[in-house]
Order: sequence, then structure tokens, then C-alpha cells
Amino acid sequence: MKYSTDYTPIEMMIVAGSRQIQNEQILMVGTQWPIITTLFAKKTHAPDVTICYEGGGVLESIPDRIPLFTGDPCIASHSVFLNDSLDTLGMILHRGYPDIAFLPAANVDRYGNVNTTCFGEYSKPKFRLGGSGGACDFGSLAKRVITMLEHERQRFPEKVDFITTPGHLSGSGSRQEAGLRAGTGPDAVITTLGIFKFDDQTKEMYVDAYYPETSIEEVKKGFQWDIKVSKNVTMAEPPTEEEIRTLREAIDPFGMYLRGNKAKSVSTY
Amino acid sequence: MKNKKASMEEAVKEFVADGDTVYLGGFIQHEPYAAVHEIIRQKRRGLTVSKCAGMIALDKLIGAGCVDKIISTYIWNPLPKPAHALRRCIEKGIPHEIRMEEYSILSLSLSYFAGALDLPFIATKTLMGSDLMRHSSFFDENKFRIIESPFNGEKVCLLPPLKHDVGIIQVQRADREGNAQAWGLMGDSKYGINSCSKVIICAEEIVDTEVIKRDPSRTIIPGFKVHAVVEEPWGGHPSYVSGYYDIDWRYFSFYEKATETLDGFENYLDEWVYGVRDRSEYLEKIGKKNLDELKPKPWKSDPIDYGFCGKHQEEYVR
Repeated sequence: MKYSTDYTPIEMMIVAGSRQIQNEQILMVGTQWPIITTLFAKKTHAPDVTICYEGGGVLESIPDRIPLFTGDPCIASHSVFLNDSLDTLGMILHRGYPDIAFLPAANVDRYGNVNTTCFGEYSKPKFRLGGSGGACDFGSLAKRVITMLEHERQRFPEKVDFITTPGHLSGSGSRQEAGLRAGTGPDAVITTLGIFKFDDQTKEMYVDAYYPETSIEEVKKGFQWDIKVSKNVTMAEPPTEEEIRTLREAIDPFGMYLRGNKAKSVSTY
Repeated sequence: MKNKKASMEEAVKEFVADGDTVYLGGFIQHEPYAAVHEIIRQKRRGLTVSKCAGMIALDKLIGAGCVDKIISTYIWNPLPKPAHALRRCIEKGIPHEIRMEEYSILSLSLSYFAGALDLPFIATKTLMGSDLMRHSSFFDENKFRIIESPFNGEKVCLLPPLKHDVGIIQVQRADREGNAQAWGLMGDSKYGINSCSKVIICAEEIVDTEVIKRDPSRTIIPGFKVHAVVEEPWGGHPSYVSGYYDIDWRYFSFYEKATETLDGFENYLDEWVYGVRDRSEYLEKIGKKNLDELKPKPWKSDPIDYGFCGKHQEEYVR
């Protein structure tokens, strides 16, 4: 096993995310980075994970083309179960089956609350985003929520403008006060800079690990508040050459995620 | 059996009125784009549109000025790129201000389920703590209630039933009476379409009732609830219908670029909606080559056997 010396921050994030997964786990999977991360885990160390999507699909195998979102038509020809949102978000998620729920996010705050609704005042926003989709259900109901996003300072305000997806709300005890079940909520935030976890008592986010190409100081600058650093902070294990090869050649050979091909724009039809 | 076949123009004229609460079915696939274009062409106004996972169908209706109120969980171009008409509307009030009632997919699906059954309310553990509950607009205090469960005292969120004046969905096939069959990713569609007082079924194909009867478990709404059946091949383009066509990413990308500015959006409508008479003219513009490219290779189910039980056991026959 040789560690790779040629990988991007996005690839490091995907590998770090996949390492949170154990074989045979049930995963509730949101769109964007969670899709490629969970399929990569399935291709490597966790071949028997079950992947559930909000629209009603359950996958036990890797589709021939990588889904570009959780509603991608390729899911229809590769699922073992394909029905309603009430099945996956209801009879699977609400019933408590998933071991982990993976979410994308626009903004994440100090307590792991996620905003995908708007920037600025809700009634008159500066920038209107898409909205919850199933994200709020993931955050409300899942035992262990892992959020994945590219690390930019403006994405990490101390308090989000709008709580689309409840994290630990205002800290210790506040989820249960709001009515959410005990033993649910954010477990980690994984970005292009590092891995962030939540204090058992205060439920505040802290730096758990930083990536080899960065430093604790650089990671801390990525937050709009003075984020705490774990006493046991570590440097994350870099990806292996084999992992990077699998990711590029077997999971995303056309670079739909890794090289952003899906954002290609055309101006005529 | 009633023959409810209608053209898209007739169905929208007869069953979608100004001010109606309209459910748009389809979860990524099954979105009724052809019907949406016809609603825009007929200049419906003051609609309340309910759409669980809204891609650009809702964006078009908002930009075209058909909508006053929205019930939804998500409106975005799946590229992913912004839904520009939605942004212009919410951020700048163009073409006019609208009000929005927002949910998560599970809570909205449950509300449709409650509407379809006419339950007084439905209880859930999702949504609590989220700002989706702090901001209620036209439902005011009737959006939800948090109570202590009478059974075990835990906090639960109660959601009232959601019902709609009219519902529209693009399905794989239906018969002339409206027995509608859909398969693949279903999302909220089954409970949503069954929560509507009037129903317009748009189908890739109209088939004989005998075809429906050989696989009745695939029917998502029985014909007696349906008011009009429109045969509209490719009516879900640029999204997909499993077994008929793949998603047209190029068109989503083109739409995103084309509608980035208000002028661009209006030009888009002039060319692709007002500028064509119906879906067949729209498809001519798409072109046969592009349509052919979107046709998937077959991925057929093995035939299943329902078993034909036509005789009683002898000792039970008098």
C-alpha cells in the first residue's frame, strides 16, 4: 500500500467520507458529494452497504453510470427497491434503519445546523437557494448525520441565516427540547480541509482532523468563529494510490464529479 | 367505460381554472412539462401550485406569472444550477410577489397522504426544530401543531391534510378511462395525485384496458377518479420517463443559460412555449436526432403471473 501524492482536496474529502462507513451499513444518501462518496465506499471496503435515496430507491449495486443526482434515471435499472418517498424517508428513515445519513450543504454553523434555503432575511433574501428537499428529514431523524461540502470560509457562519436541516440547534439538549428523538443528529462535517466533530456535552463543532496538505492554523481560518481544536487532533490518513485510481477510473471515469463535467453549460439547443 | 380522452388544450381549458390549487405530480420523472407549457399558453393566473420536488416546471410557471402561491420542498435546476425565475421572484418580486409554504419531502408526502385519505391530520417526528416551521405564510397557524402524544407524552408534529382542486401527472400509460400506470422512481406522486378533486392524466401511451388488467398492481390511480386522459408522448421532456426516455441534460443546461436574465426568460417563453402550438411542434424543435439519442436501451422486466382464477372449488358450488 502506497499513499498517493497526487490527489485533489475533493478526492481527499470523498475518501475521508467513505472511511466513516463500515460494511453492511444502511446509508441514507443525499445528492452531490454523498453520491460519489457512498458508491466509492461500496466499490472499496464496504461492498455490502445499502444505499437509500429520498425519492424511493434502494441500491445494492453500483450503477453503470454514476448518478448525477439522487433522481437520476440510471437508478431505475439498478435498484432492488423503487417506490415512494414514504418508503425510503418513511419506512426506512423515520423508522430508524439508517446507520448514517450523508448530506450536502450550502452553509453549516457552529452546532451543525445546515442552510440550503436562503442567504439573508428569509422574507427578503439576498440569494434564494433550492430549499430542503429531503435534507430536513435526514437531519431530523437520522442517528448519525454526516455533512459534506467544499470548505470556504463564507460557508461556515457562526449561525446560519435559516435552519433548513436541524443540527444540534443551539447546543446541548436543544434537539430533544424541540421534539427530536434522542440519539439523532450531526456526527461529523467533512470538508476539503478536514474532519469536524461535535462535543459530547456542548454539541459544538470542533476540529477532529486536518488533511495532510493543510495545517491546524489554515483549517481554523476556514470558520467565522473561533473553532475549538480537539486535544487529540490528528492529521487525516491520506488516500492511497489504489484509492485514487479506483475513484478516477472505476467510479467517475468521465470526471462528472471530480472534474465538474456536470456543470458544463450550453447556450443553444 | 367512459372515454375521457382529450387534447392537452381541451383538458387544461376545462379542468384548470384561474385561482385553482394545482398539484403537479412527478418526482424528477413524470413531471408534466407539456401540461405546464399549455397552462402558460392559456395564461392561467392566481394559481396555488403544489409540487414536492420542483425542478424547472415550477420555475417556468413562476416566471410566466401564473402562480401566486407555492407549496414545495425544493425548486432548483438539477445541474445543479439556480432556478433563475424563482430567484428573481423571491429576491426581486418579478413578475410579482408570491407566497411560499415550505416543507421537507417526508412531511409534504405525509400531508398528501393525509389528503388522499382525508385523514383529519397525520403525526410525525420530522421537521421539528427547523426554520421550515418558524416561517409559515398563507397557511398561518394551520401549517402544523406540536402537541404531546396522548399515548406516550413525547412531542409530535401534527400536519393537516393537503388536498388540491386539480392534479396533473405524466405517466407511462393509461387507458381511455384514466386507469393510470406508472413505474420507476415514484417520490410523492401516488399520494399527491390521489389527493386531488379533479385529475388530468397525461400518458406516453394510451393502451387498451386489457393491457391495464394484465398488470393492475402498477396502476397508481383508478380511472373513476380521473377526469381527462391526454395522450402526450414525450410530455415529460426535458426530464425523463422510465422506459421511454432519458433525462436531457443539454436542455436543462440550455434552459439555465437562456433564462439567466429576465429578457432571456421572456425570449425563452416566446420561442419554446408561446411560439409553438402544442407539444408536437415543441418536439419538432427538439428534433428527431436529439429525441432518438434520449431513447434508452430496453431493460425489460420478466413477465409476472397474476394467475387466472376462474373456477370455484367444487364443494363450495351449490
